Amino acid sequence: MKAYAFVGMGVVAGFVATVMLFPVARGAADNSAYRQLDLFGDAFERVRANYVRPVSESELVNNAIQGMVSSLDPHSSFMDAKAYADMQVTTKGQFGGLGLEVTLEDGLVKVISPIDDTPAAHAGLKPGDYIAAIDGTPVQGLSLDEAIDKMRGNVGGKVTLTMLRTGQKKPFDVALTRAIIHVDAVKFHREGDIGYIRLSSFNEEAGPGIEHAVSELKKQIGPGLKGYILDLRNNPGGLLDQAIDVSDDFLQSGQIVSTRGRHADDTSSYSAHSGDITDGKPIIVLINGGTASASEIVAGALQDDKRAQVLGMTSFGKGSVQTIIPLGEGGGALRLTTARYYTPSGHSIQALGITPNIAVAQGDETGIPRVERESEADLPGHLVGETAKKVPVQVIKPAPGKKYDDFQLAYALDVIRGKSTVAFVKSAEADPLNPAH
Amino acid sequence: MKNRLPLAAAGAGLGFCIAATVMHLAYAASDASTPYSQLDRFGTVFATVRADYVEKPDDKLLVENAIGGMLTNLDAHSSYFDPKTYSDMQVRTEGEYGGVGVVIQSDKGAIKAVAVMDDAPASHAGMKAGDTILQIDGTPITGFKLDDVQKKMRGLSGTKVTLTIMRAGVRDPFDLKMARAQVAVEPVTSKREGDVGYIKIPAFNDHTDSGLRAAVASLKKQIGPGIKGYIIDLRDDGGGVLDQAISVSDDFLEGGEILSMRGRNPEDTERFDAHPGDITGGKPVIVLINGGTASASEIVSGALQDHKRATIVGTLSFGKGSVQTIIPLNNGEDGALHMTTARYYTPSGRSIQALGITPDVAVAQGPSPDDDPYAELAEREVLLPHHLEAEGEHAAVSTVKPIMPPAGKKFDDFQLSYAVSMLSGDPLTASVDKPAPKGIKQN
Repeated sequence: MKAYAFVGMGVVAGFVATVMLFPVARGAADNSAYRQLDLFGDAFERVRANYVRPVSESELVNNAIQGMVSSLDPHSSFMDAKAYADMQVTTKGQFGGLGLEVTLEDGLVKVISPIDDTPAAHAGLKPGDYIAAIDGTPVQGLSLDEAIDKMRGNVGGKVTLTMLRTGQKKPFDVALTRAIIHVDAVKFHREGDIGYIRLSSFNEEAGPGIEHAVSELKKQIGPGLKGYILDLRNNPGGLLDQAIDVSDDFLQSGQIVSTRGRHADDTSSYSAHSGDITDGKPIIVLINGGTASASEIVAGALQDDKRAQVLGMTSFGKGSVQTIIPLGEGGGALRLTTARYYTPSGHSIQALGITPNIAVAQGDETGIPRVERESEADLPGHLVGETAKKVPVQVIKPAPGKKYDDFQLAYALDVIRGKSTVAFVKSAEADPLNPAH
Repeated sequence: MKNRLPLAAAGAGLGFCIAATVMHLAYAASDASTPYSQLDRFGTVFATVRADYVEKPDDKLLVENAIGGMLTNLDAHSSYFDPKTYSDMQVRTEGEYGGVGVVIQSDKGAIKAVAVMDDAPASHAGMKAGDTILQIDGTPITGFKLDDVQKKMRGLSGTKVTLTIMRAGVRDPFDLKMARAQVAVEPVTSKREGDVGYIKIPAFNDHTDSGLRAAVASLKKQIGPGIKGYIIDLRDDGGGVLDQAISVSDDFLEGGEILSMRGRNPEDTERFDAHPGDITGGKPVIVLINGGTASASEIVSGALQDHKRATIVGTLSFGKGSVQTIIPLNNGEDGALHMTTARYYTPSGRSIQALGITPDVAVAQGPSPDDDPYAELAEREVLLPHHLEAEGEHAAVSTVKPIMPPAGKKFDDFQLSYAVSMLSGDPLTASVDKPAPKGIKQN
């Protein structure tokens, strides 16, 4: 047989085999994604063609994107072109608000924390409260952005929130007047021989404010200064770089926080530079259920680097980073969770929050929550899954009948001074690994 | 032969290269040729989420949620059934299940009881249509998919379950404890009320029409030729299968249109007409409705009202006059779209959507807030977010004050008692402040 014939047969055979196998090979390579996209395209087309009234394709896709992204976690969402434009305006602070940091849980808006000296704080809203309705409109079905939009508005405008609080069966209404939310991040004063610093938010003033507070307190108290209390209770967070600066202020060395995501640029680590503005004085960091995000980074860093004792109740557990990803001309933007924060010991803030070294309740909580910490054996390397075994921790609270303005603060002052001036009791749970306290 | 093989192999290699190039170009061309840049936009976002989200997401779940988002934002009744929910649904419409006997709907995350089945645990415990279920055994379920809610509600017969309920007009949420039971798919039931036949249709499923015919036959036997008429109770009947609604309407009509359905294209308008034959032999019929009467039930009420075949008694109905079609994807392997594809119209051309059926005789159960027909407005279609707008001119919603039970008297079911008295002519109506209604046409 002629050589050409063989070559020819080969070409034909090769061609046919490839044509037949190509779809399989292509499919197998990225089967899941292509198949799913095909499925979406199919559904899209059927809706476009059969829905009872004509509906715009971009509206369909916007709703699809929103459904897809908001199902990931409460902080991931899609902003269409208008919402994205609005967002860029509001971060410049030209609106009246209520002073609430919120998230979404079980379809309701959950308060992370009210910010100091805001309408929400003055009205007595608490971390963990749920908002069921805004001006009578149920919150169910709204995205977090939509709910926040409803709460914001003109300065002086009135808003009524229908609240649900654990321990109270009846929902109750709270009437608020919007104000410009300007946050005075740092307040401080002398508590005898101890410097007390209240940090209520991690805005641009936080780092410089802390430095100023410490230097002033040193001046006021003098050489007899016993230590500092850094109060991060009800501090819902803010800017990452401020959290790093504040942690760095107190640390001579060691890691502060790491972030971990899918890509190299979502993964980073921040460490302290030498220099401790307190010259090594004892520090207690106060936290509670309203302590979130940037505050948890600071508390976690100081706790893990053994620079401070953390006292109070378990923090909120919001330790994730959202990245704004614009989607091109008129396409809006994604707000997508791209990384999570980890304390120096590798503990995920998102999953677990920060557990205090010394668990102390105020005593006015309706039902004191359980405090648990991971059992020591499981800690390092438990990043995958992040579900370490938990053991209960004893909670200290005021003795029955005793009332204190701020029991957690009073107890913290005692700890630094090595004294015991408050009357307290310990809750029933015994910590099997750490029985005496 | 041996030195030919390499040549053949080389040829095959060449063939492969040509084919691969051709196929690749063909696929690329077909990708680009889709006319929808919107689909491309979706694809880009999908790829971004897949690549950048803090952990690798499940592709299938992403698209399921995307389809779900697309459907739920269309209107209050459109949704996506994921594959598991879809296969569960097949079971539900056919057989029996151990549950509490409540038909639920997800209203933008809030789980609502659209209908409460008669003689089942939920109704014995005091649950009512329109109730919002906040928790099952202490677990908040707001925002859950219906499928997951069902899973929690079902279980071994006899096992206990506690539902935390929020009810319009009641300030605090409250608990209802009940024990699961074998709940038969809502059957038609009937009862003799003196010389009036009472038939309750709790839902429109595959057995409804046959159940109705059996009930009429049984009542005819029980009461005999002196039967004064029939009461068809569609209160709290949330609807169901369309062709059953058509058959039931047909059962009472000798002819004429029952309903028409209009979708996207005018050519797709469907009309359904009645066939000769009236299973009641022309006896008077009263249909009882209330705010829980929806969809298929409104079709029946609207048809009988427009043909003046029945007098509609009770309070304004729900106002769901849209038809949903279930469109399986890949034969259900990828779930199904549950999408509004048409509006339906009564014989006189009224669209029920968002307006409801206005009773001929407005009668309320009683003056308490729970029974206030205006409180029922809270559950009506118009107040569902994203409801499909009523078309054209809105008929004035009836502001006629309903007939109330006479003060001091207690009625188990005033609307029913009133209807019975309308047919039987007994003295109940005389004690009410309104003049007795004109007698129902008898033949």
